[in-house]
Amino acid sequence: MRKLGNTHTGATGVTRRGFLIGMTAAGVSFGFPRTWAAMDPATPNGAVLPDAAQVYEPSLWYSIDSAGKIKVNIIRAEMGQHVGTSIARILAEELEADWQDIEIIHVDSNEKWGLMVTGGSWSVSQSWSVYRQAGAAGKTALLEAAAKQWNVSPSKCQAIKGKIVYGNNTLSYGELVAKGLSRQFSEDELKALPLKANKDLSLVGHHVTSLDIVNKTNGNALFGIDAKIEGMVYACPILPPTRNGSSVASIDDSAAKSIKGYQQTLALDDPSETAPGWVMVIASSFYAAQKAAKKVKVTWQAGAAASVSEADFMAEGRKLIQDPKQGAILDTGSHDTDTAFTQAASSLEQEYLTHTVLHAQMEPLNALAFLNSDKIWEVHSGCQWQSLTLPSLAAALGVTEKDIIIRSYLLGGGFGRRLNGDYTVPAALASKALGGKPVKMVLMRPEDLQFDSPRSSSVQLLKMAFDQDKKVSAMEHHAAAGWPTKVMVPVFMPKGTNGESYDPFSISGADHWYSVGAQKVRAISNELANSSFRPGWLRSVGPGWTGWAVESFMDEAAHHVGADPLTFRLDHLIAEGRNAGVEPISIGGAARQAAVLKKAAAMIGWGQAQAPDTGLGIASTFGQERDMPTWVAVAVQVHVNKSNGLVTVQKLHVAVDAGIIVDPDGAEAQCQGAALWGLSMALYEGTEFVNGKIKDANFDTYTPLRLSQTPEVKVEFIPSTAAPAGLGEPATTPVAPAIANAIFNAVGVRLRSLPMTPNDVKAALAKA
Amino acid sequence: MHKGIIISLALITGVGLFGIYAWHSPIEPINPQQNSAFTPQEIALGKTLASAGYCGTCHTAPDGQQYAGNYQMHTEFGTIYTSNITPDEKTGIGSWSLKAFERAMRSGVSRDGHHLLPAFPYEHFNKMSAEDIKAIYAYIMTSIPAVNQVKEENGIPFPLNIRWLQAGWKLLFADTSEFAKQSDKSEDWNRGAYLSEGLAHCGACHTPRNAVGAEDYDNMYAGAAIDGWYAPSLTASNPAPLPWRAEDFYEYLSTGNSTYHDSAGGPMAPVVHAGLSALSSDDLMAISLYFADKAGSGEQNIENNEALLSAINAQQALPDLRLDKGANLYAAACQSCHYSGQDMVKGRPLLALGSSLHLDEPTNLINVILDGFRADQGIHGVVMPAFRQAFTDEDIATIAAYLRQSAGEKAWPNLISKVGEVRRQPQFAH
Amino acid sequence: MATFNLNGKTVTADVESDTPLLWVIRDELGFTGTKFGCGIGTCGACTVHVGGRATRSCITPVVAVEGANITTIEGLSVDGDHPVQVAWQALQVPQCGYCQSGQIMQAASLLKDIPNPTDAEIDAVMSGNLCRCMTYVRIRQAIHDAAAATTQAEKENNNA
Ligand code: FES
Ligand code: FES
Repeated sequence: MRKLGNTHTGATGVTRRGFLIGMTAAGVSFGFPRTWAAMDPATPNGAVLPDAAQVYEPSLWYSIDSAGKIKVNIIRAEMGQHVGTSIARILAEELEADWQDIEIIHVDSNEKWGLMVTGGSWSVSQSWSVYRQAGAAGKTALLEAAAKQWNVSPSKCQAIKGKIVYGNNTLSYGELVAKGLSRQFSEDELKALPLKANKDLSLVGHHVTSLDIVNKTNGNALFGIDAKIEGMVYACPILPPTRNGSSVASIDDSAAKSIKGYQQTLALDDPSETAPGWVMVIASSFYAAQKAAKKVKVTWQAGAAASVSEADFMAEGRKLIQDPKQGAILDTGSHDTDTAFTQAASSLEQEYLTHTVLHAQMEPLNALAFLNSDKIWEVHSGCQWQSLTLPSLAAALGVTEKDIIIRSYLLGGGFGRRLNGDYTVPAALASKALGGKPVKMVLMRPEDLQFDSPRSSSVQLLKMAFDQDKKVSAMEHHAAAGWPTKVMVPVFMPKGTNGESYDPFSISGADHWYSVGAQKVRAISNELANSSFRPGWLRSVGPGWTGWAVESFMDEAAHHVGADPLTFRLDHLIAEGRNAGVEPISIGGAARQAAVLKKAAAMIGWGQAQAPDTGLGIASTFGQERDMPTWVAVAVQVHVNKSNGLVTVQKLHVAVDAGIIVDPDGAEAQCQGAALWGLSMALYEGTEFVNGKIKDANFDTYTPLRLSQTPEVKVEFIPSTAAPAGLGEPATTPVAPAIANAIFNAVGVRLRSLPMTPNDVKAALAKA
Repeated sequence: MHKGIIISLALITGVGLFGIYAWHSPIEPINPQQNSAFTPQEIALGKTLASAGYCGTCHTAPDGQQYAGNYQMHTEFGTIYTSNITPDEKTGIGSWSLKAFERAMRSGVSRDGHHLLPAFPYEHFNKMSAEDIKAIYAYIMTSIPAVNQVKEENGIPFPLNIRWLQAGWKLLFADTSEFAKQSDKSEDWNRGAYLSEGLAHCGACHTPRNAVGAEDYDNMYAGAAIDGWYAPSLTASNPAPLPWRAEDFYEYLSTGNSTYHDSAGGPMAPVVHAGLSALSSDDLMAISLYFADKAGSGEQNIENNEALLSAINAQQALPDLRLDKGANLYAAACQSCHYSGQDMVKGRPLLALGSSLHLDEPTNLINVILDGFRADQGIHGVVMPAFRQAFTDEDIATIAAYLRQSAGEKAWPNLISKVGEVRRQPQFAH
Repeated sequence: MATFNLNGKTVTADVESDTPLLWVIRDELGFTGTKFGCGIGTCGACTVHVGGRATRSCITPVVAVEGANITTIEGLSVDGDHPVQVAWQALQVPQCGYCQSGQIMQAASLLKDIPNPTDAEIDAVMSGNLCRCMTYVRIRQAIHDAAAATTQAEKENNNA
């Protein structure tokens, strides 16, 4: 995929902040009727319901029609967070709308929406103030209009549940729109609007049935794989031996010709270099394409990665860490750790590994692409990051981004896989090769896993220095891994204090909230990984490995100084200086992390004696970054079977502080899911690269957690008035270290590599 | 289909009298119009019997016309195509008199005097009454549309293809005795015996055969390999953990499945659904009584049977999926249907109870995993998916090994290659 | 050519006999509520009912269902109010929703056979259905809720 240039998104900064701007971008619609390119997840076929005669658009983010229906425009992808409902209720709250009148619309990729990305657990956090202001604007306009009708001051009127009320007079929003409304607000006006006090919130933080739920229980929900266009043909790809650098040497489709419905086989010519060496088998039905694909013989020139395996990434990571010149140093205040280590009375040093993890979202990758009658390329697919996908499509098709529109469908799982829209490119290229004919491509599971942008394996080295009194005087954290942001959007990489760029997603978490004296955090890009496959953002990305290392290491440090791991953590969570946090989101800082730790400890009964070979473990992280921390602590009860090495998690308790919780029910669901992802990655998943390919091809050997492996899960939230942080990812990260810490407490052995397999446990016990 | 056709030339040549035995004269052809003298009752009975004797199963090709033959039988002696038995004068049996038909049914000799291959179980049909044979004749002649279709050449190599040699085989190996009632058994039992040994020709599959492919009457119903499957023993030597009681046989034969055992798959499926289902429930019960007696199961209450309870309990505690790949695949792909809970539920077959896990050969289990059950097999209208495309030989072997072990049996040897063999054998076409 | 009954109507599809039922239902007959996840019977996303029993349609060749009665999520209930669906909605079980058709079809068949399942029984029957969003905690609870609601409704019917 072409790297995203500076010019595209209007993201001016090169820091992480660059991601976060764009919500207010304004532009001119280039004329697609909304009903055609957008989708309502609550209607049977995704169709947007028609508007009544008159429509008022107080802002880009919603409209009210003369029947009182309120359509809320959602630029975020729906992939299980019920994001439309969450965002719509923020709007409805300030608008004082009747919830019954709300419809949510997942919009197309029109540039007027600004940066379109769904990831980083940002959706609610970033929408919070924008949609509140937008709602307040509409309410103000309606109040003014009604007041004018009654010839009173707007301040005498009240907005209640979709109506403006003054004494015995009421006018519904629909009636007011019918009378004609066109009031618009400037940026400054918007900022000046008064917002409701926290205590008055009636939708936010209360139970609301998510609008997408019913369709997700009756088969009506429309995912990308369900997209359909008259006259489409089906494509089943045959993948090259390596992700990068493969090229087709020859194709023999003679055996496929006997398959009824088989049409032809295309070797894709991809100027965007997204899918080099891809071969597409075209047929009149998907099954015919699958069958034919098995009979087409392709030979390739393989890329360099054909001789690279997981152990090579690990070796490379170790080598890089040993070279002090490598990597970017993060700004962590004082990072001169040398002195402390030279003077240390004792020190601790440990290496932590994580292996490759796959997204394996349930809906395999797919896309439908064609050139429509207006000569616009339409791409129908689930997509987490339209703004990143468009440039790749444009490069592949040889057109401008304005010639392409992405119609967003529901995502059968995102988890970061669909941030990288690479899978839309081969479908578009196949359509291009067929003169713009609609081509629907579905990857079978083996191809989906093979083409994954997995979470890179990682190598980390952590060090801690202690003084005479066993007090921590310095800490270092060196992390080497494949960097998704470097491979796909280098423009979003900030610079470290040494001037080197780094992928914030791949190091966040190492810059923790513990006060440890001098602190050095070094992020190193593993170029062998970057060139051999396409590292991806996977549910929480870097914190998945940094949290593993930090929270395992904190435990080891506690044992090193003979302290209780919980007390040791609490002693180092001091809300001072850079760890004090800032308004509006991280306010409270380390104190809030301490609070979730205490809560989780109380939930599990920390300190209670355990049965033989059973132990408690605790860990705490913050997701996703210091700017937007959701404080999570996990406490687990774990049993270890010493004879076969099986680790069983009996209890998984999660304490969370994410600021104001917009959707309590959804928040709980996200945290349950995230914590179980954490468990899955800790004990059940994990794959490896073998000669440039991912070892596992399907769910027979790639084994995410199943229901029978699900322990008791409890999630509790700390009440808060801080602005909302994100919830989709954070609870994944503390689970693995909590389990490792519990294993240590149960049987006295320390595991430092993820996933923790029964063989690892047995080997560790044998050595102990 | 019956694979026994082998000839020992040494045994046969030079036996002077043999020529006389082997030679049969043709029976004069008739004009089908001459056949009008059948009562509706006869024809109706014939229809039932033709069905219960599976005439259509063997004499109809997969997409072919009813009774027009050319159904392919893969035997270890070569491929056989079945005959056209529609009343077509030229290519079927339209010119056969009742006498010719009865001679064929009883002694395997065609109207024109040539010997039929013993794939045609005339030694069983010989046990039928003349009335029953006539009824089948009546039904075919009056109710089956004549189809002009020439029989394909059998792929039986020389010298096995020499027709008159069949006679020698017949002389030496076939039991051509008539059915004799056993006075010490009940009427029902005798009715069951009559149907099973004659019309339904159960022994043709379930009785092992000797080196030359003839039924080994000393081991009647002791189980035999058939069509790439294994027809389990119907005697006390059946390896299933629970006894086959009359009610189990009855449930099995009337629904295609026994809750406490397993389902009718492969060649047994049409026996139940296309065949015996035509019989009255009294007749099915009679057959069930007969076999329950053969199996020596008697009347038993099995609710508290230890084998049942231990099989039910065994399914509760799967080994950890991380340690046992077979259990992992089983949990992912099989258990949702095969877990039956504390109370047995029909349609949730508890695999540990079925004979396929307890047979010395894994053939049946592998066949079922590969190709599942269609709606017209096993429980009618219910299917089991087919893992042929989904799982490798190794995957299937792993599941099979896991199941075998969880059923408390010792491991099957060379499972992976066995799966490969079964995968490559011609798929049973019915 | 394949003919069977789908959600109460006789349907015919002109497909090769080895075509998996899943693709016939989705691509030929347009019922896309049934999903594709793995194609090898290990995830349950494609679960439909054949003859009233939960069946993985991705590995069921269409020839196997000739003449059979098939129910997909779209036909589980007329108004989407099967007790399992009601419980699923009330607890807001679905996250992305992709696996949920399969989960619901599997759960419906579980409750038909085992009306008041224990956790162990739920685990045994439902573990073939993967949910990558890991909605397992709520799936378990929703099955208990649906079981309780059904039992309650039966009691009321008996009393009435
Ligand atoms: S798609 Fe059928 S079980 Fe996974
Ligand atoms: S709800 Fe997303 S896979 Fe289950």
